[in-house]
Amino acid sequence: MVELQNVSVTYSGGVDALNNVSLKINDGDFAFVVGSSGAGKSTMIKLLLKEIDATSGNVIVNGYNLSKLKKRKIPEFRRTLGFVFQDFRLIPSMTVYENIAFVLRVLDAPLKYIRKRVPYVISLVGLHAKTNSYPDELSGGEKQRVAIARALVNDPQLIIADEPTGNIDPELSYEIVELLKGINDQGTTILMVTHEHDLVRHFGGRIINITNGEIVYDEIVTGTNSEILPEVELAQAMENAARPRHEYAMPVDTAEENTPYVDDVIAAIQGTVTQKGGADK
Amino acid sequence: MKISGIKYLANQGIENIWKNKMMAFATFCVLLISLLLVGCSVLFYINMNSMILGLGNQNEVAVYIEADTPQERVDEIGEQLKTMENISTVTYISKKEAYERMQNQILQGKEIFEYIDDYQFMPDGFSITVADNEKLRDTVDAITRIEDVQSADSSPQVAEFLRELRRVVTLIAGAAIIALAAVSMIMISNTTKASVFARREEIQIMKYVGATNTFIRTPFFVEGLVTGFFSGAGAYFITWAIYRSVYDILMAQGMLMNAFGAGSIVPFADIRLYCGLAYLLVGSLVGAFGSVVSTRKHLDV
Repeated sequence: MVELQNVSVTYSGGVDALNNVSLKINDGDFAFVVGSSGAGKSTMIKLLLKEIDATSGNVIVNGYNLSKLKKRKIPEFRRTLGFVFQDFRLIPSMTVYENIAFVLRVLDAPLKYIRKRVPYVISLVGLHAKTNSYPDELSGGEKQRVAIARALVNDPQLIIADEPTGNIDPELSYEIVELLKGINDQGTTILMVTHEHDLVRHFGGRIINITNGEIVYDEIVTGTNSEILPEVELAQAMENAARPRHEYAMPVDTAEENTPYVDDVIAAIQGTVTQKGGADK
Repeated sequence: MKISGIKYLANQGIENIWKNKMMAFATFCVLLISLLLVGCSVLFYINMNSMILGLGNQNEVAVYIEADTPQERVDEIGEQLKTMENISTVTYISKKEAYERMQNQILQGKEIFEYIDDYQFMPDGFSITVADNEKLRDTVDAITRIEDVQSADSSPQVAEFLRELRRVVTLIAGAAIIALAAVSMIMISNTTKASVFARREEIQIMKYVGATNTFIRTPFFVEGLVTGFFSGAGAYFITWAIYRSVYDILMAQGMLMNAFGAGSIVPFADIRLYCGLAYLLVGSLVGAFGSVVSTRKHLDV
């Protein structure tokens, strides 16, 4: 479970990266986090990995209150997570097998278990033939599969995927998300940050839009499983959705004069995306 | 941690040397050169010091016995001198030998000896060398206090000069060794930093998957230790080769050896063990800790 309670992050230069953000992602959820560059997505990921600390508020991940987590406990906390990054972050001097087994080595898992578990997860991501290859010998899609296998191998409660499709061909992107969806079906919570609206539209699920350090949209939508809505239209819908939320913060009489954001979203994606109701916030 | 875990980390360290062979080779070379610079300076100092001491040993003390002292008493004094502290050699100079020495030392006016046909007027004496030239004055005073000893002559200026020379050599060599050690540490630090910097992403990935700092550092420690050990071994063999060549060359210089004393240059066999141990120990420790310290900056993820 991931919970952000009134979290704000202000960098030393005075930049407000996140502004009083509250969010709850329940166990077993699949959530897309979308937003433009500089919106605060990366800051949120850094917070969830305990790479940075919140200026105020509480960040709770897998039962660990990161705001109070001692430095020496960080490794223990991170072992409850899996992560997948845009740039794969595989260790170049290790083979596919070694990259994945490394996570279990860190956990001091028995050798017997490692020898059984690693080939299993490699076969899950369909890379059995590449077991002894080095990252340099793999395509972008294959590298990301290895990263997913590595994220999966210690059976984490939560996988954080930061733009996992950002460096691979569009057609392979669907495969990667399918893979993550399959993992999610087994009960693992997935939090995926992406820029690719096509993917979000196709798969649906919970969509969280961050703009200017605030969550401006957080809804569960049904995936189209096809490419009906042009990307630009969805982007427009997201933007429209963002606008009224800001206006909600205004005094009631002013906000009422503006179009309520839910109606705006429904109007923009009518017939293509069915609103399923607001998620926990 | 299980034994298999420790074995894994140790193996990782050794494998990393091969996987990062260019950086490992650079570290090896820098460590080797640094050890050689410092090691050779230390050996040079040890030998300079030994040579100065050797020069000091050439500084004889002439002990003169009172005239008309019976031979038995002279022999007793000889025995007494041998048991005294700081006395290295005691050579008895008979009246006759003293007379002959005097004849040899006087270059002009040798005609005077034509008028002297007896050496009985010469005193019995001893020629003494001291172990530690620094304590020469105390030793001479102690000899003078012995009954029937007329006087003990030494050259305090020579002793003083040698003491000063030794002090200057110690200062210069000490400063040179400290400077070289400092330069070496900077070189080693930069090389290990560069080596670790090239693998900073690797370290960050390890941190993301929940590896503890000890888990990440152990392979770096082993890697540095092994590289440092081989640098130490390399430095030892190079030192051995250079030292033996220089030793042979110096030993062939008869004049030089006469001046300083044949034993004043330390044979390699006498320092082989210390030299080898020092190189291996310093090489391994500097390699290991240099490597571990360089990871520190990248561990804060």
